[in-house]
Amino acid sequence: MSFAFENIPSVKSERWKYSNLQRALKDLSLTPARLGWDGNVSLLSPHAPGAMEYGDTQLWDLNASQTKDIKFITSNDIIDVSAKDGQSLSPRLIIDVKAGENITIIENHNGDGVYWKNAVVQINIEENAIFNHYRTIEESEKGVNTLFTHVKIAKGASYNAFTMVLGDGFVRNQIHAEIMGEGAHCGLAGVNLLASTQHADTTITIEHQAPHGTSNQTYKSVLTDKAHGVFQGKVHVHKVAQKTDGYQLSNALILSPQAEMDTKPELEIYADDVKCSHGATTGKLDDDPLFYMRARGIPEPVARALLIEAFCAQALECIADDVFAQTMREEIAKWLTSRA
Amino acid sequence: MLNIKNLKASIDGKEILNGLNLDIGAGQVHAIMGPNGAGKSTLSYVLAGREEYEVTGGDITLDGQSIMDMSPEERAAAGLFLAFQYPVEIPGVQMTTFMKTAVNSVRKARGLKELDAIDFLKLMKGKCKELGISDDMMKRAVNVGFSGGEKKRNEVLQMAMLDPKFCVLDETDSGLDIDALKIVADGVNAMRGGDKSFLVITHYQRLLDYIKPDVVHVMSKGRIIKTGGPELALELEAKGYADIVGAAA
Ligand SMILES: Nc1ncnc2c1ncn2[C@@H]1O[C@H](COP(=O)(O)OP(=O)(O)OP(=O)(O)O)[C@@H](O)[C@H]1O
Ligand SMILES: [Mg+2]
Repeated sequence: MSFAFENIPSVKSERWKYSNLQRALKDLSLTPARLGWDGNVSLLSPHAPGAMEYGDTQLWDLNASQTKDIKFITSNDIIDVSAKDGQSLSPRLIIDVKAGENITIIENHNGDGVYWKNAVVQINIEENAIFNHYRTIEESEKGVNTLFTHVKIAKGASYNAFTMVLGDGFVRNQIHAEIMGEGAHCGLAGVNLLASTQHADTTITIEHQAPHGTSNQTYKSVLTDKAHGVFQGKVHVHKVAQKTDGYQLSNALILSPQAEMDTKPELEIYADDVKCSHGATTGKLDDDPLFYMRARGIPEPVARALLIEAFCAQALECIADDVFAQTMREEIAKWLTSRA
Repeated sequence: MLNIKNLKASIDGKEILNGLNLDIGAGQVHAIMGPNGAGKSTLSYVLAGREEYEVTGGDITLDGQSIMDMSPEERAAAGLFLAFQYPVEIPGVQMTTFMKTAVNSVRKARGLKELDAIDFLKLMKGKCKELGISDDMMKRAVNVGFSGGEKKRNEVLQMAMLDPKFCVLDETDSGLDIDALKIVADGVNAMRGGDKSFLVITHYQRLLDYIKPDVVHVMSKGRIIKTGGPELALELEAKGYADIVGAAA
């Protein structure tokens, strides 16, 4: 491989404690490849926004030095980040949402065989703009996806992200959001449907750096077989960010005794007039509703599916686009029919 | 119709039903009364097939067929219905979705054609009206935020929708105001007359004024200790359980 293994974060590093990327990448024989995006690579500055915030992981810089695929986006788009067997990819998306605009971008992450995608997504949302950012991540059994997003949200602007993790493989989905201007909003939501020996890690940092900002995290994870889920969410409210309203929720539903969920919420608050809270739960499907439904003649698998759909509903409510929301509902139903 | 023979059941190693016998004929209404903790709800759960209860002996047959090896959903399809003493809240699952899934699951298992959206709504609206349940309630999550009385009426609605042949009503009267009690009783009485049988668990004679039982049983410490006609309920109302329970002990 064309990178030094020492540069891969180890479980000794604080924010990689639950996600053993070194193990996931070990023994993979990969060749650097490209998707064929046509952005001019020489335009990429090593000091691009996010480099500093991701100073604690070498993978950001690795992407910068390796990338052969750059895409600049300023309007509605659907983007596929698909790897082929044996590929090592370092794609970079640079998304600019102009003041007052309202755009929606859908990213589909998937692949075949053995691969590693070390992707960076750089987002800048100007004043009073709205950006709806939808992602589906559906990797192969031996696929590795490390995905780093950095987003700056200006005054009155709104970032609404939803991510659905399905499939298999190893996923690290890390988001670092900066609320830069007054009254900006950052809404992050996701549903993780994890099976087999899949590993999916959602790691979030939201920095409130201006007053009257709001942030919301709503994550639902359903785990079966020997799947491993990780949720680390950190809300950092700077001293200037008075009247911040931050809420974080991570609920996990464990369907198999061998599945595991690690959750680490963190609040770091330096302003005195803020409203911040978090809630994290990990549990099994409740016996009482299950029995109640079965006593009404609903077969157990159908009852379980209804309860799991209900469990995920709150995250789906964060999706503004009805068509995409419906697609996600169908994905959940499909997953439930095949697994739960 | 329903026959219970020497039923023994325990939970967490604690025996709660110890040799209970009951025989309810087609078209009959039986009432069970008995002090708190007698095991009445346990009996209803065991009838419905709740797995937490371990049945250590005896048999239950519905129309001559043992139901002991059936799952709760199979029992429901076979025509058994339990109105819960404490109906369960299911956040996120809409009443209409729940009801349609239940009705069609049961119809499918019984070899009937599943109802399409229009026929289902027609059926549901009709039953809702009879039971004084608003359309708005059907748009809410199952039992979530329902008042005590609404929950009980909702149980009777589900009973009417699922067309069972044997119904257990576990304290469906508790928490109901007088008007609601009449509505619920009318709902039950509307289903009587044919072959359907009922087992009505209650603490109050009042319900039995509206739903006239054929037989009244007194249950204590996990078994039936006395059986009589409707006059037995009046006697209990007047004297309490002490004499009967004492005499049986
Ligand atoms: N899950 C359980 N674990 C332990 N004991 C239980 C459990 N469920 C019921 N019991 C016990 O079994 C006994 C019978 O309870 P049950 O609910 O059947 O009584 P009941 O006759 O319905 O009473 P009530 O009139 O108050 O509704 C009680 O002593 C109760 O505490
Ligand atoms: Mg009871």
